[in-house]
Amino acid sequence: MSKWYAEKGEQNDVIISTRIRLARNIDGFVYPHLLDKEGKNRINEKVKKAVFEKLGDGYSFCEMSSFTPLQAVSLAERHLISADFASRRDESGLIISDDESVSIMICEEDHVKLQVMKSGFALGEAFARADEIDDSLDSSLSFSFDERIGYLTSSPANLGTAMRASVFLHLPALTLCGQISAIASTVSKLGLSISGAYGSRKKPSGDIYQISNKITLGITEETAISNLESIVRQIANRERGAAEREIKDPSAEDKIYRAYGLLKNARLLTTEEFMSLITYVRFGAYAGLLDIPVEKIDALIIEVQPATVSVSNEDINTVTERDAKRAEIVRKALD
Amino acid sequence: MLCQNCGKNDAVTHIKQIINGEMDEVHLCRDCARHLGYDDIFSGFDFDFGGFFGSLLGDMISPRLIGETERCDKCGCSFNDILRSGKAGCSECYTKFYDKLIPSIKRIHGQASHTGKVGSGAVRREKTESAGEKIEQLRAEMNQAVSVQDFEKAALLRDEIKALEGGESK
Repeated sequence: MSKWYAEKGEQNDVIISTRIRLARNIDGFVYPHLLDKEGKNRINEKVKKAVFEKLGDGYSFCEMSSFTPLQAVSLAERHLISADFASRRDESGLIISDDESVSIMICEEDHVKLQVMKSGFALGEAFARADEIDDSLDSSLSFSFDERIGYLTSSPANLGTAMRASVFLHLPALTLCGQISAIASTVSKLGLSISGAYGSRKKPSGDIYQISNKITLGITEETAISNLESIVRQIANRERGAAEREIKDPSAEDKIYRAYGLLKNARLLTTEEFMSLITYVRFGAYAGLLDIPVEKIDALIIEVQPATVSVSNEDINTVTERDAKRAEIVRKALD
Repeated sequence: MLCQNCGKNDAVTHIKQIINGEMDEVHLCRDCARHLGYDDIFSGFDFDFGGFFGSLLGDMISPRLIGETERCDKCGCSFNDILRSGKAGCSECYTKFYDKLIPSIKRIHGQASHTGKVGSGAVRREKTESAGEKIEQLRAEMNQAVSVQDFEKAALLRDEIKALEGGESK
């Protein structure tokens, strides 16, 4: 089955993907950080039963303990689970849909963390899907809810809707012209949060950013989503405007073609180097300079992340072998 | 655990991130977390509000409110435990410590009343009522049950009232 990230989405030039996460807890159980092995197993069984009965085929269940550390990190690289969840080597369960667009982390921070991913700009669509699944599961799992403070979550920061909506954007032109930090501070003032989606906090790589809502209490899901939507739309338009200007600059054009040349010919590629080059290639692709479908580049970015490369190529033992494999995958994809 | 940045204070903010396929954990004290901007932008793949929230909560509550004596009946968490970890132990904690938690909840979200989705199968808790009012209401319900000779229900209500009265006298 083809994966969600291989599909072409709305406004896919600048907006890579959309994600909705809902946190829910099952009444009558203590929260995951206090749950013992037996408790976790009981929650697994309950959620599994609800999913298979209510959502039907197309989902599979695994325990986190069944993955190697590398496989778990690869799941996080593919955005299926959180970094925190990837560090679990225990009974915590994971349910994934065949196209990987829906995943349910069981006993992460809360009993159920439901996630829906869509390619491109699809907040409404992703929320509708998450909402529908939430309703189906709620009818048999009975999620903890309080009339005053909404869905009850282990962290009080998620009370209320317990919804985190995120959009992943590629902003190379705004980064090039130095506007990104001004945008980041504006976004924070508007009650949203922005972070680099790859690399470390101090040095985000690939010019890919994640923008999310922060407030969950006292605001409806619809309002939170429409706020996020309007900010993201404005940022995307500014990126396109900046791209139009930047692309005329010979030095930007040079950067794009150089990056393309390097990626097409390199025999060894570290993740950092790949990320620092692919951003220009993706920029050239969405600005119409290079004839490569952006969704192909987006799938490539996921495919060559370190753990994902190692997991899908078992003969890799050293970092150099991994860098060589990465370069090979990249050359094939850009050919 | 000591803060990785200054090495002096206790680390209260714990952030997990994946950099180049490696799991990386950052442990920071309250001041360093703020100084390094971890209370604003969350890095890596995901937010980790947990530890950060703990420090935020602790900041807001004056020490005299923090008492170890009261514990949640369901999970055994004290209010102090919630402050330390930034996490409630179970859904009952929100009922037990509602009044203590609400000022911080208000400050984090700007307000404290839910306006979003109401789940169909979700368990709804009653609006805030003092135990006295609750007992009054249950008594009325019990008398009603007796008058229609539904003794099974009346017995259940009587037990509930007893439990509440026991809780009040503690």
